[in-house]
Amino acid sequence: MGRKILDLIRAIIFNRWVLAAIVVLLFLMPSLFYAREWCQELDAFTSPLQDSVCTYLIEEKPVTNAVLLNFTQLFILIILASNWNLTGGFTGYIDFGHAVFFGLGGFATALLMGSSRWEDWPALFSDWSFWPAMLGAGIVAAIFALLIGSFTLRLKGPYFSIAMLGTLVATREIVRASSNISGGGLGLSLPVYLNRPMFYYLSLVMLLFVVNFVRWIRSTEFGSSLVAIREDEVGAEMRGINTTLNKITVFCISAFLTGLVGGMWAYMNTFLDADIAFNQNRTIDMVMMTMLGGLGTVAGPVIGSTILYWLRDVLWANFLLFHQIFEGILLIIIVLFVPEGIMGLLDKDSSGTSLNRIVKGWFKKEPEEHPRTS
Amino acid sequence: MTTEMTSNQKDQSPLLEGRGVSKYFGGLAALHNVDFAIYPGEIMGLIGPNGSGKTTLFDCLSRVQQINTGEIHFKGQEISKKKPFQVAHMGLARTFQVFRVYRKLTVLENMLLSRQWRNESIFRQLRPSHPDTDQRARELLEFLTLDHLTYEQAGNLSGGQQRLLEIGMALMPDPELILLDEAASGVNPVLINTIKDRILHLSNEQGKTFLLIEHNMEFIGDLCSRVFVLNFGEKLAEGTPEDVMTNEDVIEAYFGS
Ligand SMILES: Nc1ncnc2c1ncn2[C@@H]1O[C@H](COP(=O)(O)OP(=O)(O)OP(=O)(O)O)[C@@H](O)[C@H]1O
Ligand SMILES: [Mg+2]
Repeated sequence: MGRKILDLIRAIIFNRWVLAAIVVLLFLMPSLFYAREWCQELDAFTSPLQDSVCTYLIEEKPVTNAVLLNFTQLFILIILASNWNLTGGFTGYIDFGHAVFFGLGGFATALLMGSSRWEDWPALFSDWSFWPAMLGAGIVAAIFALLIGSFTLRLKGPYFSIAMLGTLVATREIVRASSNISGGGLGLSLPVYLNRPMFYYLSLVMLLFVVNFVRWIRSTEFGSSLVAIREDEVGAEMRGINTTLNKITVFCISAFLTGLVGGMWAYMNTFLDADIAFNQNRTIDMVMMTMLGGLGTVAGPVIGSTILYWLRDVLWANFLLFHQIFEGILLIIIVLFVPEGIMGLLDKDSSGTSLNRIVKGWFKKEPEEHPRTS
Repeated sequence: MTTEMTSNQKDQSPLLEGRGVSKYFGGLAALHNVDFAIYPGEIMGLIGPNGSGKTTLFDCLSRVQQINTGEIHFKGQEISKKKPFQVAHMGLARTFQVFRVYRKLTVLENMLLSRQWRNESIFRQLRPSHPDTDQRARELLEFLTLDHLTYEQAGNLSGGQQRLLEIGMALMPDPELILLDEAASGVNPVLINTIKDRILHLSNEQGKTFLLIEHNMEFIGDLCSRVFVLNFGEKLAEGTPEDVMTNEDVIEAYFGS
């Protein structure tokens, strides 16, 4: 019985038409926002239909700036988690400092768009418009990843994680200390551009791009080589995979995309300083959301981020004081009981922590078949 | 005349040659001043008591371990400073005594990932596996009687099956020199014969060169033209299997005095 329910869940979640419908709805959603603006500008409603629709839109406000902002933030989290998953999930290099690329992207965008408080800031790298500045942010993040990754990616397991955490903290302090560029404690202000639907669409497009990109990467030999590195780096190297090159490449790709998002976020936020740009919580979010959804799976970060974001909303509203405690406990529960995340639970295979197996254990009277030894 | 000379010389020059190879783990001499030479098309055995440095020698050849002194030449090139993947690209493949299969990946993926990578750019890797690679992987799996496990996670295979998968992964890149580390241990007798046939076939028909570590003397005797004996990291004897097995030093090393 459990199996049937599970098959149904799988069929719904992974049905391409369901996915397509969700995407279409997401694309159409801001139109309600525009429709309301349009209604508000009307002097009088000409038909009963228009009257009822407009009254609903104006009074109920189904899609407000706040809703769009909420979704944009969710999209950003999904993109970040998906990027993190490239190094943390596929390649097995758990990066506790990935937010450094986000922060660098943010600062690069701010500086390139001319927010520097330093008179001698080169004019060539100033007053760019947003799009090239965002691209520049990605490039800055990728170059930084190349420099730092050449050293940290030599480290294995926890040593890499801690080195990246150190990178994040050190970078934050260096940025804070170089106050004539970064604004120090004052931070930097970006040109104000409050167009929520634009950021909504931009993040949605980036989300679709990144998720499909990750899916495509996983389908290539390059993607498989990353998994091989995760499973056995020495073996992979001995079997002809240039592990150093491949892991640095994926690290830079991941940093590039994270830098882009950081740039977009800075422009959307119109302000940033070292503390909010290099916020440790952002890394924890990436780790937790990916782990909840399923490390090293394409859909994992999407599912994990969505659930955690929604859960946070609920918890935030109801248990303001306890929500962080709850999140901490959740992380422990994930690691202890569902290390393979929701995707692992939904896995068709009945090995490991799969729901099939758990459900089987609950409902089956006869003893379970012996797991294979050796 | 000249052509004859060069072909003659070519026959003489070893495919793999080590001179004065030493490897120390702290104070322990896992290999001490070892010389060896393996010629193209040859099947050579490497034997010795437990802990005599056989696996360490493989590790040094495949560049998983750094040697302390000496030089190793493969196809005329000094390889003791190269990266493991570069040696693999040159046509050296090995199996591991302690399995190194990718446990979470399927058997087929394990095989596909062991293909010949050569020095191709990242961009060449941005495509799914080539159909030829796929076909070769499936053929090898069939030969190793693992085809019914094509989509099974490698970690779920039995010990002997993982041993076979290791052999398949070593053959996958079509290497020139294949190092097999106790490849027959834990494999059933029928399959051992199949593997023997395959090794002979690869050696006779395709001129592949093998270096085998084995404790099974029958396996060595049936396949190898020459055997090389290590004891406490030093070369004890070298010669035909018959010579070596009647050598008093070797008997003493194996059975004690
Ligand atoms: N990574 C290592 N660090 C320290 N010592 C090592 C290491 N690898 C091997 N040794 C030591 O080197 C010696 C040779 O080991 P090796 O594995 O080469 O033996 P072997 O001939 O393959 O033995 P067996 O027949 O049991 O496989 C052993 O004494 C072992 O303890
Ligand atoms: Mg050994």
